[in-house]
Amino acid sequence: MEEYAREPCPWRIVDDCGGAFTMGAIGGGIFQAIKGFRNSPVGVNHRLRGSLTAIKTRAPQLGGSFAVWGGLFSMIDCSMVRMRGKEDPWNSITSGALTGAILAARNGPVAMVGSAAMGGILLALIEGAGILLTRFASTQFPNGPQLSEDPAQLQPAPFSDYRQ
Amino acid sequence: LPASLGRGCLGRWLLGTRGWALLGTGTGIGSGSCSCSCRRWPHQPPLLLRAARQSIGTQAGGLKSAKPGGDSKDVSVQRALNEETLVSAAQKVKEAGRDFTYFIVVLVGIGVTGGLFYVIFKELFSSSSPNKIYGDALEKCRSHPEIIGVFGDSIKGYGEATRRGRRQHVSHIEYIKDGLKHMRLKFYIEGTESGKQGTVHVEVKENLETGRFEVRYIIVDVETYPRRTIVIEDNR
Repeated sequence: MEEYAREPCPWRIVDDCGGAFTMGAIGGGIFQAIKGFRNSPVGVNHRLRGSLTAIKTRAPQLGGSFAVWGGLFSMIDCSMVRMRGKEDPWNSITSGALTGAILAARNGPVAMVGSAAMGGILLALIEGAGILLTRFASTQFPNGPQLSEDPAQLQPAPFSDYRQ
Repeated sequence: LPASLGRGCLGRWLLGTRGWALLGTGTGIGSGSCSCSCRRWPHQPPLLLRAARQSIGTQAGGLKSAKPGGDSKDVSVQRALNEETLVSAAQKVKEAGRDFTYFIVVLVGIGVTGGLFYVIFKELFSSSSPNKIYGDALEKCRSHPEIIGVFGDSIKGYGEATRRGRRQHVSHIEYIKDGLKHMRLKFYIEGTESGKQGTVHVEVKENLETGRFEVRYIIVDVETYPRRTIVIEDNR
């Protein structure tokens, strides 16, 4: 299929940026709807108009900041993959830390270090959750073919493909 | 947060020295709070701020009566002491229940976070994790002259592609044979010469004396026509 034949990396940035914007906009929309509803004068019309105004003003802002985070993270991730030449959880953790540091650059070096630590820890937790999920998902399926023989490339004999 | 507070203090101090007449009525309260927290500044600015606040108070017609901050604090503390004796036993039980629920929630949160940290540490730092073995095998591939000859100088390695396009997961299988743990891995490498892809199969066996995994074999399948197999290491 064509979408697996091409390299994921440069296109992944656009993917992640858009996905982050959507998450921020929808989540922000829900929050601002409730908040605008509650902070409006009595009367359903007022409240609905208040919540709609709150969504219109605040939700794109939250989506924008999420998109900046996601896009920057993905850019740094792809650059690290290109530099190191292998794909690792280390790339994600370092990218998270660098993203946190860059986005806090206005507040001075100490704030950058704190933000980098938070970004790195957050990404480490997300990576840990991802690894747990893949391990659990792979143990759901029954075992593959028995593997007591050595693969055929070492001795010239047909080799059955093992898949998880 | 401390950086912004420091900058806020500096800003208000500058405002205070420049022009009191320019300050609105609202900033009187702000400079009052700033004088308490600007203790580390030299002694002159708080005096300046206090003078600014008093003059603003009289200029604005006594918006907040010029009571120094200490008195109002004493009054509020005494009121709180009187109210506490009226808290009944039922409310104490309710509060204790609420505290207990929060405590349980905090414990659950710490447990989950600790579990995730443990997983990620084991994955990245333990020498028997698939990721570590994949890294070592990739290094060996990169330094093998035959591989360099086929694929070129800079070799990329990656695992299985997930839905989002990230290829971090290396497919591996663990099994036990003759009482020892074995693990098989499979990952892909690609070189600078376009179109040349390879599949690397690695098997490691647990060594009971050292407790680590040692390599049994590393072989590379090159996806050319005719298929070609390069054996990097064979210790069977």
